[in-house]
Amino acid sequence: MTCERFEELLSAYLEGELSGEEKREMDGHLDLCPACAELLSVFRETQEALAGFPELEPGPALMAKLYAIPEKRSLFRTISDFVLRPSLQPVYAAFTVLFIALSFVFFHPQGHGIQKAIDRQLHLGYDHVEKLYAKAGSVTDELSSLKNTVVDSIKTLNPIKGQEDKK
Amino acid sequence: MDLNAIVRECLEGRQGAWETLMNTYAKRVFNMAYQFSGSRQEAEDMTQEIFLKLYGSLAKFDFQRNFTAWLLTLAKNHLIDEYRKTKWERTQRDEFDERVLPQASVSGPEESLARKEIRALIWEGLNHLSSEMRMAVILRDLQGRTYEEMAEILGLPLGTVKSRVNRARIALAEVLKEKKGEPS
Repeated sequence: MTCERFEELLSAYLEGELSGEEKREMDGHLDLCPACAELLSVFRETQEALAGFPELEPGPALMAKLYAIPEKRSLFRTISDFVLRPSLQPVYAAFTVLFIALSFVFFHPQGHGIQKAIDRQLHLGYDHVEKLYAKAGSVTDELSSLKNTVVDSIKTLNPIKGQEDKK
Repeated sequence: MDLNAIVRECLEGRQGAWETLMNTYAKRVFNMAYQFSGSRQEAEDMTQEIFLKLYGSLAKFDFQRNFTAWLLTLAKNHLIDEYRKTKWERTQRDEFDERVLPQASVSGPEESLARKEIRALIWEGLNHLSSEMRMAVILRDLQGRTYEEMAEILGLPLGTVKSRVNRARIALAEVLKEKKGEPS
């Protein structure tokens, strides 16, 4: 028997699972090989020590946490159901886009330039709105003068009165 | 105790069923996590995570299977996954706590000291084994599982399980031999 074979059968040898012939071979090898005899001795020592390992009791704090798992899970489920509602998805998408845009402004190396460009665009937009407002004001004036002209013309012509006179 | 009935009651949300399940398995899973990680704090965290996982996947339990083996498979997978993620082997194990050993196993002061030293060396030596080997020793020699139960828990053929346990024991014996040879 080789030392490798001896090692392969070591657990079975100690657990009494070998056939009579295999056991005799193991015993014969032990008589001839001091290295394997030493391994067997340390192996036995290891097994004895493992057999006496303690079992710890889980503490009351841990047990309390374990007992509370169903409540914890149901609260978690309620929150997650609310947060993951499909109706909130467009809101999350909009916030994501907004945050990405803001991150460009605040964290981009040329963020200051981007901010300036945005300011410029805002001012341009503001000017444009002002001009439109001014134009709208002049249109209102024109409309009111037009209205006066139309009213005056109607009064001058007074077609209804003319028809009544004919009658 | 009819475990399948308890699991069914848990699924129905029956009061007390989950507590019964915890009283039955908390100690076993906690010790498995403690022996595997070597740290009481880690073991408490892992135990909570394992039972949270169990609660979440209880509805998927196949009642044709053995519940204990199913739970221990879940625990084993979680422990090995966490070990791979965080590499516990780099951290130290807690000091081996001899105070909780059964006093009956000690017959004299000299023997007590020698045994205590050997146990402490083996406790440390567990960190020198790969996660699979460590789990094999824990299930067989510390948790007292049969080879058949281990085959179900580990999802391996019986012959592979026996061979893995044997290799793990030899590796641990080699670690002990080496550590005993080191100057203290």
